[in-house]
Amino acid sequence: MAPALIAILSLIVLGIPAVLAIDRRARGPLLIGASFLYGSGLIFLILLALSIVHIRWTLLSVTIAALIAWCALWFVKSPSTVNRQPSTVHWLDLLTIFTFIGYTLYATLAHLWEWDFWAIWGLKARVFLEHGGIDWRFLESPWNAFSHPDYPLLVPFNYDFVAILNGGWSDRWLGLVMVACAAAVVLIVRSLVAEETTPFVAAIITTVATTLAISRYVGLAEGPLIAFGAAAVLFLRRAILFDDHAAWRHGAVLLGFAANVKNEGIALAVSIVIAIVLVRRKSLWRLWPAVAIAAPWLILRATHVLPTDVVGGSVLSRVIAHLAQTPVIFSLLWHDLVDPWFWVCVIAGIIVAPAVRRRREAFVFLVTGIQLVFYVAAYYATPHDPRWHIVTSWPRLTVQISLPITFVVLVMLADFFPRVEQSAPDAEAGPVE
Amino acid sequence: MSRWRQVLALLIVLAIFALRIDRRILLLPFLDREPISTALEQRADRLWPEFPRFIAGVRERTQNGDTIALVVPTLNWDKGYSYAYYRASYLLAGREVLPLAMDDGRLELLNFRRAKYIAAFGRFPPSHLTEVWSGEGGTLLRR
Repeated sequence: MAPALIAILSLIVLGIPAVLAIDRRARGPLLIGASFLYGSGLIFLILLALSIVHIRWTLLSVTIAALIAWCALWFVKSPSTVNRQPSTVHWLDLLTIFTFIGYTLYATLAHLWEWDFWAIWGLKARVFLEHGGIDWRFLESPWNAFSHPDYPLLVPFNYDFVAILNGGWSDRWLGLVMVACAAAVVLIVRSLVAEETTPFVAAIITTVATTLAISRYVGLAEGPLIAFGAAAVLFLRRAILFDDHAAWRHGAVLLGFAANVKNEGIALAVSIVIAIVLVRRKSLWRLWPAVAIAAPWLILRATHVLPTDVVGGSVLSRVIAHLAQTPVIFSLLWHDLVDPWFWVCVIAGIIVAPAVRRRREAFVFLVTGIQLVFYVAAYYATPHDPRWHIVTSWPRLTVQISLPITFVVLVMLADFFPRVEQSAPDAEAGPVE
Repeated sequence: MSRWRQVLALLIVLAIFALRIDRRILLLPFLDREPISTALEQRADRLWPEFPRFIAGVRERTQNGDTIALVVPTLNWDKGYSYAYYRASYLLAGREVLPLAMDDGRLELLNFRRAKYIAAFGRFPPSHLTEVWSGEGGTLLRR
């Protein structure tokens, strides 16, 4: 267990200067949560860079590269930042803590047990560890197509970092990485929501967000995608609503990392670009860090011709062929929806909320809607039986997108109730030098 | 802001809160976790519990870069071959595991010739191949 814990602490330490370079006034839960995510993303970039320049991954080479990055980041200064309101703890936060205690026990009950862990995420991590870098021969081999060679590598590289610190492969405590991802996004949620509402409401929203951040698919990339994706969407929402420059930078960087977690992260980046074109076209350029961070893997996988099953071959003919199955597809989408009553409540919340608040939250609604369209489109384009594809993926996909929309619905509904406590003044969120 | 909307908003917030609270996760610290832990440990290898031990034996006797063709009691992809092939690929990371069956039903019997080793789980008919090791329900053969 110790190497996994040391790895998580190391990632937090590695991420601190990156967060402060982007947001000088980040403190408390936001600093810790964002630092883990930035550290996780940075270690991915470091291992990717070492692999590209053919330097074998060893404890020494990775430590030196990480130290260089860490020292360099302290010299980066962001042009402006914001006044952040500290989060006030509420007794209801105990529910969040208890949920995390339970989840930590669950994620570490056994060696990682999910099929997709040892067929995809853990397999690649283990192969690369043996190779001391990306094993292109493995990824390019037709016999390994089952491992989805095109999938981005942030999650396997994080496992490799734990294994490098451990001195060898062990999947016994890798579940702790999932716990850290969930904790990171929850700390960010707690900080962001505290700037908009009362501690009581913030605690309720954080508790609900916690249940959406903890992925039951321990070892898979769902948990990290929820963490990076939700954090990116919520920072970008804040950037749009409060003209918070630091939040733009956080959102763009975290979105770039989300695109390196799963292909759905790449789809999320496209969804966000479309949504920003629709709601704040002039600010689109601010997403350049996302493009810069997503680009290396996209270029590498294109140059190595790693196939993506959903877009390979004749997509149009598959879509046309699957159109006849539309009733079956939509009936399965409803049947396999996780917690349908929860979604009914979310939609009801959107309907009940005042129109002015709905317009205000257009960005998150658009991102969620566009992402859903991408997911459903993938079932029409799939080379597999759509029914099999839906049954094996839809429950995971719907959880991926649920956190940001639930956040905004609860924030909107909180406006219905009188603020008996002193709320944090969010009007001070303008950029200051 | 009308009264009924306020009541509806409260009900929705309460419903979302109640629907999301995960009692199983909250109760986990107070449960006997040993049976759950055992079930999860065994989950991956329910089909052939001996298989990981056999593959561990194969790993001990082979090197990184070696090619290993996998033979198991079935070549039917959905009835066990996919499990064995994926599982062996993970447990033998560094070696190249070659499948003899594919997900579309094709047999890739040429892989039998391409491989340096044959990892045969279950019974394997007598052959001209050299036996490297036998145990844990299978045999490792070298060409």
